[in-house]
Amino acid sequence: MTRIACLFVPVAAERVKPALLEIALRHSPTVEDGGPDTVYLDLGGLERLWGCEEEIARRLHHAAGERGATVRIGIAGSRAGARFAARAGGDVTIVPPGMDARWLGPAPLALLGLGPEMSARLGRWGIRTLGELADLPSHGLAERLGGEGPRLQRLARGEDATPLRLWTPPAVFEESADCPWGVETLEPLGDLVAGLAEILCARLRRYELSADAFEWTCRLANHAVHEGACAPAAPLADSAAAAALLRASLAARPPRAAVMAITLRARPVRVQISQPRFDEPPRPSPRLLTATLARLSALVDARGIGSPAILDTHRPDAHQMTPFLLPSPQPSPPRGEGRAETGEGAVLAIRRMRPPQLAEVLVAAGTPTHLRAAGLAGRIIAGAGPWRVSGEWWTEVPFVQDEWDVELDDGTLCRLAHDSRGWHLEAVYD
Amino acid sequence: MATSTESLPPPGWDREGLDGLLNAFPEGRLSEIVGPRSSGGGSLLLALLARAASRGGLVALVDGADAFDPETAARAGLDLRALLWVRCGGRLPPAWSAADLLARCPGFAAVALDLGTAEGAAPPSFGVRLQRAAAENPAVVVVRAPRHVTGSAAALVVSVRRVRAHWIGAPRRIRLGGLLSEARVLRSRFDPRLATPGRAWLLEWRT
Repeated sequence: MTRIACLFVPVAAERVKPALLEIALRHSPTVEDGGPDTVYLDLGGLERLWGCEEEIARRLHHAAGERGATVRIGIAGSRAGARFAARAGGDVTIVPPGMDARWLGPAPLALLGLGPEMSARLGRWGIRTLGELADLPSHGLAERLGGEGPRLQRLARGEDATPLRLWTPPAVFEESADCPWGVETLEPLGDLVAGLAEILCARLRRYELSADAFEWTCRLANHAVHEGACAPAAPLADSAAAAALLRASLAARPPRAAVMAITLRARPVRVQISQPRFDEPPRPSPRLLTATLARLSALVDARGIGSPAILDTHRPDAHQMTPFLLPSPQPSPPRGEGRAETGEGAVLAIRRMRPPQLAEVLVAAGTPTHLRAAGLAGRIIAGAGPWRVSGEWWTEVPFVQDEWDVELDDGTLCRLAHDSRGWHLEAVYD
Repeated sequence: MATSTESLPPPGWDREGLDGLLNAFPEGRLSEIVGPRSSGGGSLLLALLARAASRGGLVALVDGADAFDPETAARAGLDLRALLWVRCGGRLPPAWSAADLLARCPGFAAVALDLGTAEGAAPPSFGVRLQRAAAENPAVVVVRAPRHVTGSAAALVVSVRRVRAHWIGAPRRIRLGGLLSEARVLRSRFDPRLATPGRAWLLEWRT
């Protein structure tokens, strides 16, 4: 005989739910996540382990109380019965075996979680409670509602043959290695991390998952802790690519002392694998792209690799680097419909000086006439300006400068800026 | 104060404009854009990347001089999320290697190496190596440099020069309106007609 316990939280809270699931799983191997405020557990066969149902309910209530959660517990022969017992009763309500139908009689129809259409239909028939639904003739109900009618009626009578949908705790993808001798150089540390990555990736593949981020924590010989993280361009479970990425990330930010222990964590995500469409532009494979990015970060500063994002400010050259991620595929527009092909791409590019170069500028009658900067010198034959660019006066680092566009006698077009520190060459048009 | 001593374009200039020139850049081949600063070469490279991205492809830019301006690129229609920007901080050796790496990663629609105004010589056989990498993938691989650096490896070499700047406002100039530049194909292995002497593309870039 099936016996179901329902843990119901009158005031649902995000932090309580994981605790309830954990408590339920500590008492029964069969647990279902019933929504934001409900957890079910199967009590079948637990008497020998925990005692009678009253004792199990008392234990559950006590364990929830210890975790700071106020719960009501209902035990019945079906989910609906247990849920109604938990909602309508006191702290612990136990419906005797075989009494679900009678107990559920006055319960509202909403307990079955009906859709709006079915609720409205039953409402038009004057059915308000589970008892009224249970008393309807089954044959007539099946004629009017099809198979759904008898199913709902069985639920209303407390006959729920559907097994609980098993909830399993999220797997923790974490591996550690102790190295009491102390790893002092990057190469053996990279090998160590590659070994951990291989184990993690094997576990990820077993769960049909991929990792969209890796984090590591190193305990150092000087008792400090070195932490870091890296994210592949696309979720992956390929150990070689993950190892290459981790090696490059460690090389970009190496620990400052010998490593005595290291822990590597992977953040799992489920990736939908779909066949590329015919009209879809090609994409780099996540494995190759990640390996390429890892090798790139060994060549140049890893902070200089990514996609730029323009910041919401008028400050000149305000942008930040964001990780380069493979965008979700979009069908390519038919040839000829690209925006750049309609002429919008004919924009005069500028080459930024980073940082802006100090410049010597001669000014006559308020107009720049000669420019000398690193690698650039000449008479200014045309110009326009100044424009005042200012903003963020409400912050500690406001900016204000006057900008000029000038043309040198050799044809170079550049942008000059003048502020309290003097003249600067901001950019060259190209 | 004259803004330009150049004359108007002569008869016979190609009227296909920018689109025609962009179509000349071959996939799976190495191309090169050469021209001094303020010649419009950077704008041509930007237009090429923007077009590749507008077709749904991913593009990569190895920025040798760390001079790329995202704001201008966005105005040119380049989807910045589709752009992998590799900033080399003015160091050319890593820029050569980064371009080589990216050209060998299949899946990018375009891979560009912008050397800025750097006059440094390319490593020996760099052009051949990059051409072989480009041949492995259907990507447009482009090098932008002030002068020809890839030797005989480039299948397409486009030379760009400035014609005149366009200023708005007269007699007092109010702002820079744009740049008129001229592009000529110096070499085209797959379509020699593009490199016909006298054939040129008149490109108008606006700010």
